Amino acid sequence: MSTARALLDAGSQAISAAVRARETTVQEVVAASLARVHTTDPRVNAFTAVTAERALAQARALDARLAVGDAATQSLPLLGVPFAVKNLFDVAGLTTLAGSKIERDKPPATADAVLVQRLTAAGAVLVGALAMDEYAYGFTTENSHTGPTRNPHDGTRIAGGSSGGSGAAVAAGQVPLALGSDTNGSIRVPASLCGVFGLKPTFGRLPRSGTYPFVASLDHLGPFARSARDLALAYDALQGYDSADPSCARRPAEPTAHLLADAARHLRVGILGGWFHDMAGPEARAAVQRVAQALGATDVVQWPNVEAGRAAAFLITNAHGAQLHLQDLKTRPQDFEPLSRDRFLAGALLPAAWVQQAQRVRRRYAEQVAQHFTQFDVFIAPATPVVAPPIGTEWLEINGQRLPARASMGLLTQPVSCIGLPVCAVPVWGVAAEGPNAHLPIGVQLIAAPWREDRVLAAALALEAAGMVAAPVASLLPLP
Amino acid sequence: MTESDIAAAVDANAALIGLPLHPDHRPGVLRYFALAAAMADAVNAVGLGPEVESAEVFVPVSLGAPE
Repeated sequence: MSTARALLDAGSQAISAAVRARETTVQEVVAASLARVHTTDPRVNAFTAVTAERALAQARALDARLAVGDAATQSLPLLGVPFAVKNLFDVAGLTTLAGSKIERDKPPATADAVLVQRLTAAGAVLVGALAMDEYAYGFTTENSHTGPTRNPHDGTRIAGGSSGGSGAAVAAGQVPLALGSDTNGSIRVPASLCGVFGLKPTFGRLPRSGTYPFVASLDHLGPFARSARDLALAYDALQGYDSADPSCARRPAEPTAHLLADAARHLRVGILGGWFHDMAGPEARAAVQRVAQALGATDVVQWPNVEAGRAAAFLITNAHGAQLHLQDLKTRPQDFEPLSRDRFLAGALLPAAWVQQAQRVRRRYAEQVAQHFTQFDVFIAPATPVVAPPIGTEWLEINGQRLPARASMGLLTQPVSCIGLPVCAVPVWGVAAEGPNAHLPIGVQLIAAPWREDRVLAAALALEAAGMVAAPVASLLPLP
Repeated sequence: MTESDIAAAVDANAALIGLPLHPDHRPGVLRYFALAAAMADAVNAVGLGPEVESAEVFVPVSLGAPE
C-alpha cells in the first residue's frame, strides 16, 4: 500500500502531519482519495459529484506553497485532508441539489458555503458532493432519484440518513472527513449505522450560510470523521460567527483539539432511561451499557416530557419543511421523492395551533432538561434503536412494538436535537455476538449542556483511548 | 380524531390553501395527517401557562456592523 493510501486510512491528523513532514504530498493524498472514490463508489453510491479538477488544482497550489517554505501553509490544521460535503452545501460551480430532482433545474452555486470555505482555508481539499434523502426529510438515504446509498460494512443495508452519503464516504475510507446536516438526527443516525464518529454541535454554534435549509429552527451542521481527535480538529476549523445565518450565536471559537482523553476523568456521566431505554432494541441497550461501564456511569436518569419533545420536533419539522416547498407541492408533486412526498403534503395542512403548541412545549422541555445538567455533565443514550436494517425495510419490531422503519430511525435522536444540545455519536462494535447483525456497528450519543462540545469530545476521546469505540475502514466486500 | 375527521380536515385545508391532492397521494396524506394528529395529542397533553414562550425567538435585523 502506498504511503498516501495508508494515510487515507489513518485519518486527518496523520495526513496533515505526513504532508508537513514531507513524507507525502497533498497531490498524492488527493489522488489516493479520488482513486478510492472511483473504485469503491459503484458499491457504495455515496457521491453525487466528484470535483476532481478543483481538488487537484488546489492540491497543486498547496504543494507549491509548501515547496517554497510557506510557514502559514505549513501550519494549516487540516493541511492536505480530502473532504466531501452533503449535497445541500453550496459548492461553487455545482447546482445545490439537496437530494432532489426539482433543484436540478437551478443554476450552479456561485460561491462555496461558509463551512466549505472554512475547511478550505484550513488546508482541506474538497473532492465532491454526497448523497442524501431528498430535502433532508428521511433517515435512510434510499433516494429514489439516485438510488440507495449502501452501508459500506454491508452493501445490503442502509447507510442511514439523511446525511447517508457523508457517513458512508467516511466509513468506506473515501475521505477521512465529511460534512452533513442534522435537523432530527441526520448526522447521528448515519454515524451510528456506518460506524463512524459524528458531531452535532449546539444549535447556533456553526453557521448554515450557503446551505439548503430544511427547518430553520432545528437545522444544525457538523462533521463526520473516523476518530474523536479528527472530529475535534475539524470542528475547531468550522467554528465562528457568521452574520448571514440569523440563528448563528455571537460566540467566539472555543477550541477543543487540545483536549486529552483524561479530561473526561472528572465528568459526571448519567444514563438516560425512560423513552431512551424503551425505544431501544437489545443491541442499542448493550452498546449503552458498555459505554456507561467504560465511563463509570451508574445513575439512570429520566428526562420529563421526552415523548412530547419528540412529537414537537415531528410537528415543527412537518409544518416548516412543507411550507418551504409549498409552491412545488402545488405544481409538481410528482417530482418529489415518493418516500417523503405524502408526508410533505400532509405537513402543509397542519393547524397553526398544533405547531405553536409544539414550539412552546419545546421551550418548556428544554428548561426541564437544563435542570438535569446541574447534576450531570454528560448523558449517554443510544443513537438508533437498531443496527442498519436491510435496504427497503418497511417495519421495525422494537421491544414488541411494530413501528414504521423509516421514521423510527430518529426516535432517539429527535428528542435531543429538538432542544439543540451538543451530541457526539460514537461507534460501538460487537454488541451482537452472533447472528445476522454481528458484523454491524451501532452508535451511542454522548450529550452535554449547550455550548459544552468540549465535554462530549472529551468523553469520546476517553472511550477511544480505552478501545471501547472505533471507526475502522470498511472492507467493502462485493455484494452477494 | 376519527378517520372521517381526518379526511374532512385534509380536504378542507387543502382547498383552503389551494393544494391539489392527486388521488394516488391522498391515502398517504391521510395516513401522515393522522400521525401528526397523534403527535398533536402528545404536545397538547402538556399543560402550559401563558408565561411559556415559543422556542422560536426573533432576531432583530440591522444592516450595520455587528454590535
